[in-house]
Amino acid sequence: MSAAESPAGRAVGWRDHAVGLALAVAYVAVLLASSVGLGMSRDEGFYVDAANRYAGWFEQLGEDSSVAFTRESVDSFWNVNHEHPSLVKGLFALSHLAQQKWELFELPSMSYRFVGMLSGGLLLWLIYVFGARAFGRGAGAFAALAFALMPRVYYHSQLDCFDVPIVLMMTLVAYCYWRSLTDWRWVAAAALAYGLCLETKHNAWTLPAILWVHWVFVALGRARGASSQGWAWRAFLTVAIVGPLLAFGVALFTLVLVPVIPLPLINVWWVGLIAFPVYLGALYLLGRRAGVADWRRFVPTGWVAMVIVGPLIFVALWPWMWFDTAMRFREYAAFHLNHAHYNMAYFGVNYFRPPLPISYPWVMTLFTVPLVTLALAVAGLGARVKAIAPPAWLAKLWPSAEPEADEARTDVLFVGLLLAPLVVISMPWTPIFGGTKHWFSAYPFVALYAGFAFARVVQAARERLPDVGAWPRRLVPVLVAGLLLAAPLVETAHSRFFGLSHYTFAAGGVPGAADYGMNRQFWGFTTGSLAGWFNEQMPDGGTVYPCDTTWTAWRMLQQDGLLDERIRPVGDLPTADYAIVHHEHHFVEVDYQIWAAWGSVQPVHVLTYDGVPIVSVYENPRRARAQPPSR
Amino acid sequence: MAADKPPSPSRKRSAAWLALLAIAAVELVGHYVIQARVIAADDWAAAAARVRSEWREGDLIVAAPEWTDPLLRRELGDVIGLSMAGRDDGVDGYERLWTISARGHLPPEAPEAEPELDEEVGPLRILRWRLDSPRVLYRFVDHVRDARATIDLGGQARPCTWQSQGRPRGGGLGAGPVVPAERHVCDPRRSWLWVGETVQDDLHLQPRRCVWQHPAGGEDGIRVTFPSVPLGEELVLGGDYYYEHERNLEHGPTQVSVSLNGEVIAEMTHRDGDGWKRLVASTQVPARGEARAGEVTVEVRAQDPTLRTFCWSAYTREAR
Repeated sequence: MSAAESPAGRAVGWRDHAVGLALAVAYVAVLLASSVGLGMSRDEGFYVDAANRYAGWFEQLGEDSSVAFTRESVDSFWNVNHEHPSLVKGLFALSHLAQQKWELFELPSMSYRFVGMLSGGLLLWLIYVFGARAFGRGAGAFAALAFALMPRVYYHSQLDCFDVPIVLMMTLVAYCYWRSLTDWRWVAAAALAYGLCLETKHNAWTLPAILWVHWVFVALGRARGASSQGWAWRAFLTVAIVGPLLAFGVALFTLVLVPVIPLPLINVWWVGLIAFPVYLGALYLLGRRAGVADWRRFVPTGWVAMVIVGPLIFVALWPWMWFDTAMRFREYAAFHLNHAHYNMAYFGVNYFRPPLPISYPWVMTLFTVPLVTLALAVAGLGARVKAIAPPAWLAKLWPSAEPEADEARTDVLFVGLLLAPLVVISMPWTPIFGGTKHWFSAYPFVALYAGFAFARVVQAARERLPDVGAWPRRLVPVLVAGLLLAAPLVETAHSRFFGLSHYTFAAGGVPGAADYGMNRQFWGFTTGSLAGWFNEQMPDGGTVYPCDTTWTAWRMLQQDGLLDERIRPVGDLPTADYAIVHHEHHFVEVDYQIWAAWGSVQPVHVLTYDGVPIVSVYENPRRARAQPPSR
Repeated sequence: MAADKPPSPSRKRSAAWLALLAIAAVELVGHYVIQARVIAADDWAAAAARVRSEWREGDLIVAAPEWTDPLLRRELGDVIGLSMAGRDDGVDGYERLWTISARGHLPPEAPEAEPELDEEVGPLRILRWRLDSPRVLYRFVDHVRDARATIDLGGQARPCTWQSQGRPRGGGLGAGPVVPAERHVCDPRRSWLWVGETVQDDLHLQPRRCVWQHPAGGEDGIRVTFPSVPLGEELVLGGDYYYEHERNLEHGPTQVSVSLNGEVIAEMTHRDGDGWKRLVASTQVPARGEARAGEVTVEVRAQDPTLRTFCWSAYTREAR
């Protein structure tokens, strides 16, 4: 990247936003169409229940706002699912209310899922713009498509969950912060985006640390070539680097943690209020002493605004936090700091408590993201390695290389945001969350490096192309993109109803992953693929023990018209007409319960995906005996 | 022909970038190759029909790899049944081993010898071995109804009550094994103190059709006595706790003792982490005398009975 191509210099105009918008609209349209028949997952059911409750508050707000803002009302409506912030579920609720009023969507489930789909679409727009600014339009467009065509990302983009919205928000925060480094007008945007990000999901709390590491590189880059010397300069630079983190840490500790942790420091909360003024004052005075021309260049204004304003927005937008804020924040934090461990199968072992092997997120990324996208990303990263290395290392490792004139250290930011989620999940103390969705926030940056590599492949193809005239050369990017995205497209399309069961070519596909003993699914959403079968078997209705499928998810299949209303879920396995088992390693327990209760080990139906069992269905022998012989 | 010139660095670099197109092509072709090799339901039905045509009592049928087991049971579950699916370790009591093999896998039970039958049915392979395993004379889990169960209460052994009414209870993740309708109820106030047949997932999530015998705690024993057991040469007993109660390695041991006509012939201590633990005891002991059958008692005790969801299966055997 030359100086002329530095992020600040690579303009993005309305045409680019039109491209981004087109990508977003197209993606949302495809997601809406493909979600028909996709069974609702376990967590979606919880958020539907929460959204329905929150919708009641919005209705009350419309009728009588004075009542809606009382503690009694807020607690009554917002207590449900308060382990997660309210922003996205609130939007689910509003979308649901809009459906009730205007019937905007073909199916009831779509009204809840639309917000997730919209997040997926907006994320493509953002990736395109981010990539276009950082690496060029071709790279941006390819990155957006490569991200869209990751099978697991595609699956989660269809859901009324937070996993894609949080990726949108984290990427947006990164973008605003990045812009704020070279344009002060983005400071407010960074602060607002971070507040919304915190209000989306708890992953957001990790961002300040990641962005601070990036700031260290930026500050050291700005310090290079400075004429200042001496202790005052060194002290100034130290405060410039450590000061923001220290101030944030002190504020966080005294304002948030001390009230919720019984430490003998009860009355020091005011220290939190002066932490940032002290940091800025010290920086100013040391800058004057050291003769620094513009000390404000050494303040990460976007970052500072984020960490000050963000938590305020977080509380302001979450009604449940309006009362007993400290205690409720403690409850919220405790839920995630002491998170229950999920079961996760990995190479034949069912892990149920930490540590998962360090390799887990890396291998799962290899096995679930299209290989060509990963290969492109690795090649792109390799080509950008000189832009990542600290200048001092660059001089030693590549003596002839010129340092990049990128004051915003874009590649350091990208690599940090790419690696951090994977590293966090790799840590032995990290709870077992399970799915790849927990490090999705790395994938936009995987896609961006894939986009960079795509541009190089196009360049290489053009260099090798015989002299064929101008317009065939213009087709090269389209042909190259077509070839590079063909496998991701085919794999994503193939994963439609089995997103969490899907494994890519690197794993040997779904059967290869089964051979390795990898997790086959979670959340019980594959029940949706059995709706037609149940309708056929129980034309007069009946009961099903639904295993991992929630009541709400089951009900949604009925509301969507996929499952007969008279086919009811029951919790009492022995009395059900049918019982299902979702094939996850630890769910074999339910298999064995059915064997013991019904005396048979023979499923009457096995739902498979690429020949691999996904759900086994058993029929109660009592029902089988009661059926007429002609059946 | 002109002499080859070494490629310039930029040509080498562009070749490296273009190699990524090859990865794209390989992945695309690979996807369709994987799809082409998917084993269809009809293939399983055809393979099952082939096995069924020559299956006879005493044959063991397994699938390889293990994840194909639900497909095998869909086709041959009526033949396999609970006793085969939930069998103890090993192949004791079976004369032949059938395997429906997918993707080149062999089951852990496969002998090293060449199979006596090896056929391909579509993408599946059917293998059959003759087994040289001991004859099983008596499986205790088949006779729980005929056994007597007692519990020590206040230092006295009291009989547990056989219950044959009602229906099975339980079900769901983390709920543990189903409580069967028919069982010996040892203490109605402690609903877990019963003796009966169920299926439990062991520490390695394998199904075990077994006799549930949760210890009562302290010095109080729970005993179950089987009369007229054909004794053969050896008695083999294996046992384990329910998966979720063993995997956390949090609780104390359980003592298991096996008596023949009142003489203890084997003892075992089961601790968390042991998994499905086996003992093999000779039945050729003085207390037996010349009799071919005898009375066998299995007793369990645990000082701390918390989550000691012990379930065992046993059989007597003799060489063929």
